[in-house]
Order: sequence, then structure tokens, then C-alpha cells
Amino acid sequence: MINSPWNDGIREFVLAIADDEHLMGQQHAEWIGVAPFLEEDLAFCSIGQDELGHAATLYAIVAGSGNPDGVDDRSLDALAFDPDPNRWRSSHLVEIATPGWAHALVRHWLYDTTEQIRWELVADSTLTPLAEAAVRAEREEWFHRRHADSLLDALLASADAGSRIRSALVDLFPLAMGLFVPVEGEAEAVATGVTAAPLNTRLPEWIDQVQQRFVIDSLPNNETAPVDRTTRSDAFEPLLSRMREVLDLDAAAIW
Amino acid sequence: MRRYEVFLKKDGRDEYRHAGSLDAPNDELALVLARESYLRRAEGDRLWLVDRAHLVTGSPEFVAPNADKPHRHNDGEQIAERRRRIRNLKKNDT
Repeated sequence: MINSPWNDGIREFVLAIADDEHLMGQQHAEWIGVAPFLEEDLAFCSIGQDELGHAATLYAIVAGSGNPDGVDDRSLDALAFDPDPNRWRSSHLVEIATPGWAHALVRHWLYDTTEQIRWELVADSTLTPLAEAAVRAEREEWFHRRHADSLLDALLASADAGSRIRSALVDLFPLAMGLFVPVEGEAEAVATGVTAAPLNTRLPEWIDQVQQRFVIDSLPNNETAPVDRTTRSDAFEPLLSRMREVLDLDAAAIW
Repeated sequence: MRRYEVFLKKDGRDEYRHAGSLDAPNDELALVLARESYLRRAEGDRLWLVDRAHLVTGSPEFVAPNADKPHRHNDGEQIAERRRRIRNLKKNDT
């Protein structure tokens, strides 16, 4: 690893992406066995696995202070299952428990289209392992988007399903806007070339994309400003305890 | 939902082989879901999906009569026996 930039700001920036990927993967994977039909059950969980893989790659970059080579699994677990809520930098969109399949699907689309922009911005990152992760991620992400779009194409064509999808969008859109709130450390990441530009410079184009996708003229007004990533939502604690369920059975166990 | 039959082919000269079936609401989703249901571990690199409604099928009643025609099974035994017999006859002549 030659002269990859690294400082506290860049760490915050990468950690935020890692936490999003991890919690999104966890949330998708929780549909195993209960998705609307068997084939979708497999597909959605498989997509969740991909996101967990991206999270592991990013946590390794964080744990190795910019150099993931030789980082051991325990260091990844220490980040991925950290019981201290203050260490987390996830967006609230990936923390909340969705009330049903329509919300899970809409979140999948909102997250993956935002993620596409985020990976594009780091595709030529000066932080080489991050640029490599972006290449790897896009090999999988095009399929995630096709999966979400295919399902939405089918469901938006029906009156009943379409109205459920749009009402899920109304609920989730303000939270999805939270993905674009500048991450602490983003300015340093931009200054050092770790990312090409602040994510919210791409917000207008993404909002157009949302409107076209859901064939909706006006998106819900942001009455409350989206929260930043230093505060946890109410849904975070239960989610973390689900993730730590086995670990917490026996804190002294050696894995 | 429609039901699709899934056929996979590995690289090279292998033929397409039936791998199973799946439910999907349309062709596009059938492709997407077949990829995750049957190809997650690179079990093939080509995929055919056939909507079961498009299969031309022959029922057992239509096919069964051909199960009773032993004369159409030539395993070569009778020919071999005949040639053996002629060979032995010639041997006895000399």
C-alpha cells in the first residue's frame, strides 16, 4: 500500500459506508424464510449477503487504517458487532424496522440507487483499497438494481400493489434523504481525493430518478430535516441486539 | 405467477440439462430469480427458461403403446449368434 491517505475524517467517511452496508445486508437477510415466495426469499437474502461482503471489505479498510492487508476477522467483528451505539455511523434508513414487504422493497431500491452514486464517486479514489472495493461492488450492484427494478415494474403496474409501493415511498423518502446528509469527514475525504465530490452534489439527479421510477409528481416535503449519522434511531438498539443475539448468549465463548 | 422450467449449460460441449423449475410473475423476473435460485454457485454459464405453458407435452396414454415393441430393440445378440453359427459351420467343413 503506497501512500494511501488516512486520517480521522477519512475513517469516519469509510465507516459510514461500511455501517450502511452492514445494516442493509442484515435487514435484507432477515427476510430469509418469510419473503413473499421462495424464489424471492433466496434472491433477496443473496443480495443481503453481497452487502455484508461489501461491509466486511470496508471494515477491513477501517481496521487496517487504510490498509486491509493482514487484518484479522476479530478486528472486523469488533467493529461489526460493537455494542457501543456511539461508535456507529449508519443512516436511519437502514436502521428502521420495515412494517412489510413493500417497505423492504422500496428501501432496497432507494438504498441501491444511492449506493450506485456513492460507489461511482470513489471509483477513482486515492485510497486504493476503496477504489478496488468499488469495482468489486459494481460487479454485484447492477444485479441488485435490476432485481429491484424488475419487481417494481411488475408491482407498480397493478393498482393495489402500486398504491402500497407509493405509500411505502412516502414513508421512506425522508429517511432516504438522510443518506445524502454530509458524513462527518466527507470534507477531508474530498480534499484528499478519497471521494470525487460531496454526495449531495448528486442529490437533484437522484430525486429526478425517484420521481421517474415511482411515477410521482411531488415527493413528500421534508418537514423535519434528515438527521445526521451521529445519533441513533430508536430502531437501532433492537437491531443491534438481534445481530448480537448469539454473541450475547455467552460473552466468554471463543469463536 | 407463471411456472418456468430451468435448463443450465456448462461451458464447452455439454448439453443443456434440466435443473428444476421456478415460479415468477414474468420473463424478466424469471431470469433474475433463476440466477439466484440455480446459479449462485456458478452451476452453469448459460441459462434457458421455458414457460411451462409453452411446453408441448405427450401424455403417458399417447406414449405408452411403444413400450410393447420388443422387435424394435436390437441389442445385436441375434446377429452375433447367427454369425457364430456360420463360423462354426465353416470350421466343420474344413
